[in-house]
Amino acid sequence: MRSLLIDTSQNNMVVSIVEDNNILYKFEELIEKDMAAKILPIIRDGFRSVNFDINDIDKIFIVNGPGSFTGVRVGVTIAKTMAWSLKKYIIPISSLELMATTKTSKKYLVPLIDARRGNVFAGIYDRDLNIIKKDSLISLEELTSNLNEDYELISYDDIKNSLKPSLDILKIINKYKSDTGVNPHNLNPNYLKLTEAEENLGVH
Amino acid sequence: MDTYILGIESSCDETSVSIVKNGCDEIATVILSQMDTHSTFGGVVPEIASRMHVENITIVVEECLKKANMKMEDIDAIAVTYGPGLIGCLLVGCSLAATLSYIYNKPLVPVHHIAGHIYANNLVSKMEFPLIALVVSGGHTDLIYMEDNYKFKKIGGTLDDAVGECYDKVARVIGVPYPGGPLVDKLSYKGNDTYPLPMPLDDDTYNFSFSGIKSAVINLVHNELQRGNEIRKEDIACSFQNRVVDILTKKTIRALKEYNVKNLIIAGGVSANSGIRNKFTEICNKEGIKLTIPNIKYCTDNAAMIACAGYFAYKKGIRADLDLKAEATVSLF
Repeated sequence: MRSLLIDTSQNNMVVSIVEDNNILYKFEELIEKDMAAKILPIIRDGFRSVNFDINDIDKIFIVNGPGSFTGVRVGVTIAKTMAWSLKKYIIPISSLELMATTKTSKKYLVPLIDARRGNVFAGIYDRDLNIIKKDSLISLEELTSNLNEDYELISYDDIKNSLKPSLDILKIINKYKSDTGVNPHNLNPNYLKLTEAEENLGVH
Repeated sequence: MDTYILGIESSCDETSVSIVKNGCDEIATVILSQMDTHSTFGGVVPEIASRMHVENITIVVEECLKKANMKMEDIDAIAVTYGPGLIGCLLVGCSLAATLSYIYNKPLVPVHHIAGHIYANNLVSKMEFPLIALVVSGGHTDLIYMEDNYKFKKIGGTLDDAVGECYDKVARVIGVPYPGGPLVDKLSYKGNDTYPLPMPLDDDTYNFSFSGIKSAVINLVHNELQRGNEIRKEDIACSFQNRVVDILTKKTIRALKEYNVKNLIIAGGVSANSGIRNKFTEICNKEGIKLTIPNIKYCTDNAAMIACAGYFAYKKGIRADLDLKAEATVSLF
């Protein structure tokens, strides 16, 4: 099985091409600016470096949030366009779950994304990526005050006592290897947050 | 040989995809308007608009191909609005376009939104050069001289508010709901030109200024309300529209004479304004000028105009690579 994984949800941009249990291509870099203009050339470079074409992949794994609204939209638009036009399976992946593939000796992993004003996007996972607490938008204070066990905080952002993620791409792909995903038309970002206009209007 | 361009437009609140043959024959167009959603908020909310574009973009492409009974393989090039517009919205269209260009190995052609509006006229009748284009929209009020296809020379523009922006502000002040511009236009026919609003910048340049008349309307409404007088919305709309149409026609006709040009095209969202359409039609008939205005449905944002402009840009060799950058503000000139 051949897979393409794309993550543009945070400044740490990831593109990976995987065949069975081998990572054939992996780009992972901090991109501060113009990620939208950089992602496709990197995907193209990736396929130039392996001995098959983008048409030959079976699945697209796309990180569809939470994270930067714009970043998520760019990745999702590219991935759903590819899946729709190439008729490939597309599987949405949580940015937090991908971060939770980081190796740790702790029992639980708490991936975090700074959502400003004291809030974070966070979930709680165990080391086998079982969901202990669903991804949500929560105040950092509330989240950490309820953590009294064996936890590792994981974040790219500047969050106290947190570890930088070290992604295990095979782990996430293997978890979803028998998943056939969703119809590309219905694959959309998972922002975990309403727009300000909707919040002000009280739309639920 | 025929050339088929797939056009993509997502710069504001319309998700649109179109296929146009040879820059003039519309094969199929799909426009998904978000207007109903945004009217709840009294105007376009950029983040909501961006979200809706992502949700609909592949569906709109599929619909368009189906309607045209064509496949992506039949397309010669992909044209997309890269700016100006709402950046989050533009990025969705640009990401779609660049991905299709990559997957199907088709040339990617970046199109300036205003070039698109101008070329909406090529769907009506073949544009003849030289011509003067009057672009009137929510973001633009420009007089453009075109010696030939895809050669744009600005001869004048607004120094402050765009005409559409001014319409929307006037609408808000007199209590007309979103979308204000078209409603002010309608209202103006029920009123009379009774308010002594000032003529906007009436000098010997080709520039426009609408902040003065906007302030005049604001002050007028304010003063009338303070005096306890009723405001006659219809009369304000009529007086305002007359002044705007007068200055637009006056400067445009002068430009046509000075540049010795016999072809005039009007473009942009405000070209749907009936006051503008009627007055220009009347004057151009009298002056022997060939006037072209897009059909009402192509005055607002659509991808057919992007595919039209895209054809001429494509013929001119304008290309973008996969690193195409969306630009919130970018000049056509």
